[in-house]
Amino acid sequence: MNDTIVEARNLIKHYKDLNALDNVNLSLSANRIYGLLGRNGAGKTTLMSILTAQAFATSGEALVFGAGAYENDAVLSRICFIRESQKYPDDFQPQHAFRSAALFYKNWDQGFADRLAEDFQLPVKRRIKKLSRGQLSAVGVIIGLASRAELTFFDEPYLGLDAVARQLFYDRLVEDYAEHPRTIILSSHLIDEVANLLEHVIVIDRGRIIMDADADEIRGSAVTVSGSAEKVDAFLAGRRILHRETLGSLASVTVDEVLSGSERTEARELGLELSPVSLQQLVVRKTMAGTEAGLLPITGDFADETMEAKR
Amino acid sequence: MSRTLAVARMQLINKWTYIGWPLTILAASFLISLAIFALIPVTEAKNGGGSQAPLWYFLVLGIQSMTLVFPFSQGLSISRRAFYLGTLGLFSLIAVGMTVLYMLGGVIERATNGWGVYGYFFNIPWVTDGPWYSTAAFFFVLMMFMFIIGFWFATIFKRWGTTGTLVSTLGTAVALIGAAALTTFLQGWESVGSWFAQQTPLSISGWAALLCVILAAGSYATLRRATP
Repeated sequence: MNDTIVEARNLIKHYKDLNALDNVNLSLSANRIYGLLGRNGAGKTTLMSILTAQAFATSGEALVFGAGAYENDAVLSRICFIRESQKYPDDFQPQHAFRSAALFYKNWDQGFADRLAEDFQLPVKRRIKKLSRGQLSAVGVIIGLASRAELTFFDEPYLGLDAVARQLFYDRLVEDYAEHPRTIILSSHLIDEVANLLEHVIVIDRGRIIMDADADEIRGSAVTVSGSAEKVDAFLAGRRILHRETLGSLASVTVDEVLSGSERTEARELGLELSPVSLQQLVVRKTMAGTEAGLLPITGDFADETMEAKR
Repeated sequence: MSRTLAVARMQLINKWTYIGWPLTILAASFLISLAIFALIPVTEAKNGGGSQAPLWYFLVLGIQSMTLVFPFSQGLSISRRAFYLGTLGLFSLIAVGMTVLYMLGGVIERATNGWGVYGYFFNIPWVTDGPWYSTAAFFFVLMMFMFIIGFWFATIFKRWGTTGTLVSTLGTAVALIGAAALTTFLQGWESVGSWFAQQTPLSISGWAALLCVILAAGSYATLRRATP
């Protein structure tokens, strides 16, 4: 059940003036839904491309089902990775793309693909190059879902999809995953939308993995304390601070720590308010903390916060 | 092997790309040529160049299979090797089919004295003068050549971008000019001329086939490291 199916060791992808991947180590288990989160250009697509042998690492090793995917039909036949900017043959209509996928995926479910096309109101007999951005995304989503590949990547699959279609995708994904367990890697920067689907979260920023933990573990791993600035600061002295906002004499501070029961009681007695931090908030704060610590000189008041964050 | 075959089948899912369009282009070019032949009131044999029309489409097919079909095949996790063999295999099949059509067209054309209007579309002076197998080889190799040259330049483009394409096109041009200059310098045009005069459609096919093999091997080597 918990077999490791993807293993990345010291992956580095170096472009001319950019480290797209900077020493990535990763281990993914079978039959889970992973979220690969990060800003645009953080390295999400690069990482997925290298794992699936669509692109090449500068150095390091990527093993999928225990072997490299490059030119390895035994491994490749178990992977599906339709990229966000996926290209299709010039004369192809969605129905042709689906029939192509059927040739290569032994678990392909045509009935499922047809139902999905109906759900997404996708014109299956229109040339793909005439489709709207949302319809183009729907083609990729349908191939990804109906292929039922053991390892399926979704690369920002929601681009151009309206709210209803996005919800449809999330619902179908969860339903089908329940019936046909497999490993799903969902790359996204709409974190709040997908937060509930994810069992494990990987956050990548400027080519580095900055978070790699179970979703349950992350929920409640941080807390926001608000109240009078003086009291908040005194209460949180010496803690790992991710973010600090002030409004007059009030402060709202996010700490990257779990508060114990007695600490929570203490906070309440001090008249401080505790609120949970959403996954999106946490990712944003952590990403920004990394940027600040990396880019800004540590001076004055700011120093304390960033030093705390860095620890 | 089955995945290689599937690559070929995949590209036949839309019948227009590899079958419908080449036949449509051939038919249209043939009918237009015939109409023109009929309009010229001479009873001597008239030759037209219309039969080359599908060849230009093959050049486009070669380019597109690299720029569009290859990225799609990567999305379906098809290995580069399977994509290459399946695509080239499919194209050889199409080239064989087209060659058979051209040969049959040539036979009918001769039997009907140029479709009754002295118009020769499939029979081309010098090319179809030799034995049938030399004509067949010439058509087949020429079609493969167009496809592979398109594939080759698209591979260069995918791998090294605009700069790479420019460098390789300009490089080819410079090399040709250099060869011409060298020939002039060595006063060798006479022997070059006599060499060309000695060539038959069959030997030209042989040289073109050799070039096809070199380009195809080069494309494969480049494709091995290409990204979608």
